[in-house]
Amino acid sequence: MSLRGENLSWKTRGKIIVENVSLDVRHGEFLGLVGSNGSGKSTLLRMLAGLRSPSSGAVFLNAEPMALMKRRDIARQMAFVEQQADTDDAITARTAVHVGRTPWLSPLSPWSASDDRIVQDALAAVDMIHKANQPWNTLSGGEKQRVHIARALAQQPETLLLDEPTNHLDIRHQIGILDLLHRLGKTTVIALHDLNHAMMCDRIAIMKDGRLWDIGTPDDLLTKETLRAVFDIHGHFVTDPTDGSRFLRFAA
Amino acid sequence: MASKADVDMPDLNDLGKRVRSLSGPVCGGALIVCAAVLCGVVIGETSIGFDVVLKTLSNNFLGTALSVDPIESGLLWNYRLTRAIVAACCGAGLAISGVVLQALLRNALAEPYLLGISAGASTGAVLATVAGLGGGAISLSAGAFAGALTAFGLVVTLAHFAGGSTAKHGSVQIVLAGIAGSQLFNALTAFIIAKSANAEQAKGIMFWLMGNLSGVRWPDVQVAAPVVILGFIIIVWHARYLDAFTFGTDAAASVGVPVRRVQAVLILTTALLTAAMVSIVGSIGFVGLVIPHMARFLVGHSHGRLIPAAAVFGAVFLVFADIASRILIPGQVLPIGVITALIGAPTFALILIRGQRT
Repeated sequence: MSLRGENLSWKTRGKIIVENVSLDVRHGEFLGLVGSNGSGKSTLLRMLAGLRSPSSGAVFLNAEPMALMKRRDIARQMAFVEQQADTDDAITARTAVHVGRTPWLSPLSPWSASDDRIVQDALAAVDMIHKANQPWNTLSGGEKQRVHIARALAQQPETLLLDEPTNHLDIRHQIGILDLLHRLGKTTVIALHDLNHAMMCDRIAIMKDGRLWDIGTPDDLLTKETLRAVFDIHGHFVTDPTDGSRFLRFAA
Repeated sequence: MASKADVDMPDLNDLGKRVRSLSGPVCGGALIVCAAVLCGVVIGETSIGFDVVLKTLSNNFLGTALSVDPIESGLLWNYRLTRAIVAACCGAGLAISGVVLQALLRNALAEPYLLGISAGASTGAVLATVAGLGGGAISLSAGAFAGALTAFGLVVTLAHFAGGSTAKHGSVQIVLAGIAGSQLFNALTAFIIAKSANAEQAKGIMFWLMGNLSGVRWPDVQVAAPVVILGFIIIVWHARYLDAFTFGTDAAASVGVPVRRVQAVLILTTALLTAAMVSIVGSIGFVGLVIPHMARFLVGHSHGRLIPAAAVFGAVFLVFADIASRILIPGQVLPIGVITALIGAPTFALILIRGQRT
């Protein structure tokens, strides 16, 4: 599986949101997209997911231009999880996961036992089996996000794209979701807000003012100078005495 | 990767099983609708014996030559039966249009009447016939179809510019835009009819605003039945896609729904259904609102079940609404829209108060 963006730009009403970004997602990697609010990471992610057509440039999925691919074929290889997708419908968690089978079904090849099994596995992967039959509006924010990830898994994609999936969640659920995504081991592109979460990525791509500032490992990129230049904060690394891992401390 | 590689080539055994598993509900639904239509034929102001009904149906369907009173037989065959069939078609068509609009617009209050689509169809039909727009080249139905699409476009654009693009606030904006649209198109319809010199040839203002099944004959059945069957097939074909709209258009696109194409096909289908029904019976309100919610309450949110259920309930509802409109006030026929509004408006209020889908 390869996912590549070439010279991607996106404009709306004369305003440039993303400008000339090229980026190659490696097979199996956990790639974090970081940047301040309005830096264009969400838009870039939506272009990579094929949900926004780039104003210029192109996205390639397995060397095929995504613009020429059928939505169904894209959805079989790649799943997208939004920041907060909600509904007033009185559906159960399981029904929400059923939607993930859409790209594999058609009016002539309807739901089968294997679809039931895939949905069950997806619910198990996010540890939501015990709440599978609960109505959607009784689930907490973290549970809803886990169900969305289960829906994405039911698509059986090779790549997961996620737009700040931990936003508005309490700290326990934030850690829980990120831990879950790491355990799934799929090629993952994730927009992140918290730089300490970004430290857990294989590589990070830093966005600033719609441009790609740099891409590389968190250790290489998250330096004092970058924090100052990109995020306008002072920061320094502290080593955790319990396991020797590094984390960031910030000051304005 | 492809655990379901046969997805495009369905197994014939699976298909056979599917057909068999569907045959029960399909026959059941058809039977219920037929029973309702039979009620529509039997019940009326003039009481006609059930044996006459059976003989008439037998004479016409099976080609028998049983002796019946020709006036009674004519009344049953040409008036009551056509009326009941068109009512059933109309109820089914409006109900499934409501299901589609509610799913696509993510709005519990969306339906052809409240969104002004019916009013637009009325105006289009009146423009084409009474005002003679297009010099007679545009038929009543084509005018209604163009009117329905225009109204839908106008209402959605208005809601969009009123800041209704976000899901949270869109509900209110689109209903307000729908009210504005309905009022405008209803006023236009009334104006055109009042202004036209040969208004007596045209159906009255009340027909276009409240609906009326009085003038329905066999040629109307020949339009209504094929349109509703075609619309039903198209909409059922897209049932799974409609499920995918549960979390909005981006979520639908990310599970493989070709969003623009599906929206275009389904909006055109609902406009066609609404236009066909309005051009035959005028604009009947609230069927598209009440029935989908009732069906959802009974069979759940999955569109594979919801659409057929809404079609059956809609058909039965409108046949009985028509019976009520004929017998409620002796010697007078109420516009059928009065009955549907009397039931629909309180339901509308209920949905508003509950603030979310059933």
